[in-house]
Amino acid sequence: MRIITISGVLRRLASTKLTLLWMLLLAVGAALSYDNPEDTSIWVLIVPMSLLALNLIAAIISNPRINRRGGLLVFHLGLLSIVVLAAIGRLTHMDGRVEIISGAEFSPEIVTDIHSGPLHSGALADVNFVQGPFTVEYRPQMMRGLTYSQVALPDNKGGWREAVVGDDRPLLVEGYRFYTTFNKGFAPILSWTSHDGRVAETGAVHMPSYPLFDFKQSNSWTPQGGDEIKFWLQLETGLTTEEAWVLDGRRATGTLVVNVSGERTELLPGESVKMAGGTLRYEQLTTWMGYKLFYDPTLQWMFLAAFITIAGLAAHFWQKLAAEPLGLDDALRHEKQHAKGSVPASRSAA
Amino acid sequence: MTELPWLYAGIAAYAFAAIAALVGVARLGTTMATVGGVSSVSESQRNNERLVLLLMTTSVILLTITLADRWLRIGHGPFVNLFELLISQLFSLGLVYTIAYWRIPVLRTTSVVVLPLMGVLAVWVMVLEPSDSVFPPTYHNPWLWAHVGFGKFFLAFCLIGTGLAGVILLRSYGFFKNLFRHLPDNVILDKLAWRFMLLALVFDSLMLCAGAVWAQDAWGRYWAWDALETSSFLNWLLLGASIHARTTYNVPIRLGAVLIISVLVFAFVTYFGTPFYSEAAHKGVI
Ligand code: HEM
Repeated sequence: MRIITISGVLRRLASTKLTLLWMLLLAVGAALSYDNPEDTSIWVLIVPMSLLALNLIAAIISNPRINRRGGLLVFHLGLLSIVVLAAIGRLTHMDGRVEIISGAEFSPEIVTDIHSGPLHSGALADVNFVQGPFTVEYRPQMMRGLTYSQVALPDNKGGWREAVVGDDRPLLVEGYRFYTTFNKGFAPILSWTSHDGRVAETGAVHMPSYPLFDFKQSNSWTPQGGDEIKFWLQLETGLTTEEAWVLDGRRATGTLVVNVSGERTELLPGESVKMAGGTLRYEQLTTWMGYKLFYDPTLQWMFLAAFITIAGLAAHFWQKLAAEPLGLDDALRHEKQHAKGSVPASRSAA
Repeated sequence: MTELPWLYAGIAAYAFAAIAALVGVARLGTTMATVGGVSSVSESQRNNERLVLLLMTTSVILLTITLADRWLRIGHGPFVNLFELLISQLFSLGLVYTIAYWRIPVLRTTSVVVLPLMGVLAVWVMVLEPSDSVFPPTYHNPWLWAHVGFGKFFLAFCLIGTGLAGVILLRSYGFFKNLFRHLPDNVILDKLAWRFMLLALVFDSLMLCAGAVWAQDAWGRYWAWDALETSSFLNWLLLGASIHARTTYNVPIRLGAVLIISVLVFAFVTYFGTPFYSEAAHKGVI
């Protein structure tokens, strides 16, 4: 009868042949995850990574070829920590999208497309900033350049401080990162007053992304107690495809074409139109900026772990190099021996 | 395109270096076969190596001028389209290999494998449209430099490993057996090649890490399994697994050489194929 001992089990779990098998499985999982297809489960990555982690822990405990070599040990422990941090990151992360009007304050209700891990516990309700105006540079042929989005943040002394974000510089509040996107556009601000005066509401209608959908700046809105109103915005933004141009909502003007039940009216800011149920007033033209929202509390730790992991690998390489410079000793010895007429043929482990 | 004459001159210098290297090794091999000694050929061999080194250095200088001229003209570095990426790789692979050739004499014979391989890149760059590129807004980031820089060293060390692997494989054929007689035993070349592959893994890991930091800044996520990310992760895993396989199974030297070459081939596909075939690659570019 064979006696199963803990060290025997450990040795089996630590097999470096298993490492290769699990690496192959991870490669399959990674290939299946390409472009995050909807029908591929996250388990194609979790399973091989867990198996590799188990394999590695067993090897670290039981294999002196890894646990007695400082740099190599740090490298493998680092790999383990990256897997653990990635898992914590997935459990606690959140991402989403926000479209916010210039002049408006951020509130969690405007976040859409939210994906968050089951353990997400960020303080989104504490996020506070006011969107200001923004500019986007375009080079000839409508090549998008840099985005400068102004925001105002509480300065913790009862006032506000200005910041400019855009492209590679996200707005960072309470651990949430807001990245500007190519998605931005115009929004007429409208107010609606019912004929009996009981309903009075003001809102912004987000027109499609500009200049991407320059040719279809239309949308619709149904006010309380009124019929559906169709809008079409005729913009003057200075857009040219031949020359460089800057998108700046403050320099743009827009005529709002209003269409209710086939009846068409053109409005300039400050003008209003009476229709069945109430009066619609076109208050002003403003802009909206689309942000991508991202939260992951492990980001800094992940960076640190990756840095230490690579430093471990570099130290391992360095230790090998110090012990035997690039294997050149052998090569040089060979050259000398060759000149004398004999060639060494030993196979030494690398 | 004021940079084109410099580019063609640089490529011509590489081509002459490749021819000189081939002639030199052929001459060394045949002389050794007939005369039978190292010392009798060493002076003409040294002259040949000096000529190869001179031609490669000339080429690197000409490619530096090519890149500088283009940079000044279009206002940004060679980071965007395939044409400029290939020139930049010809420059950096050439630079690292020239230094290695100069400092590590045992590597010199690998020039008969490495220089023709770089010739593939050179021919490729010549058939491409030399169009100007537009610098995307997400590229104004210092991590781009780190990412690209580490990647260049990764590819260069893979190329040196492949040079050695190529020599190991070629010398099993009669003609080359003679040509490469002056070289150390395969055991030594193999060891040296894997040293370079371990160094390549260090730089591959650095490249992935710098790329992730850049991706976080540029697209608001550090890893999303886009085409380039998936391909470069698989490349990293293949390299790690190859290093493991060698220590676990005592892989035969020639099979090891094939593994090294497959890592380089995978890297070529990742670098020069994936970003230009997949619309999803690094979405921010679009
Ligand atoms: C998942 C990615 C992994 C990578 C990229 C990786 C990479 C490496 C590298 C570069 C070496 C150094 C080889 C040398 O210097 O000769 C090494 C050695 C080693 N690794 Fe890993 N490793 C990974 C995972 C694992 C796992 C999961 C285990 C668990 C069994 C493991 C166990 C070992 C051992 C025991 C050695 C020492 C081999 C020797 O020197 O003979 N590694 N690994």
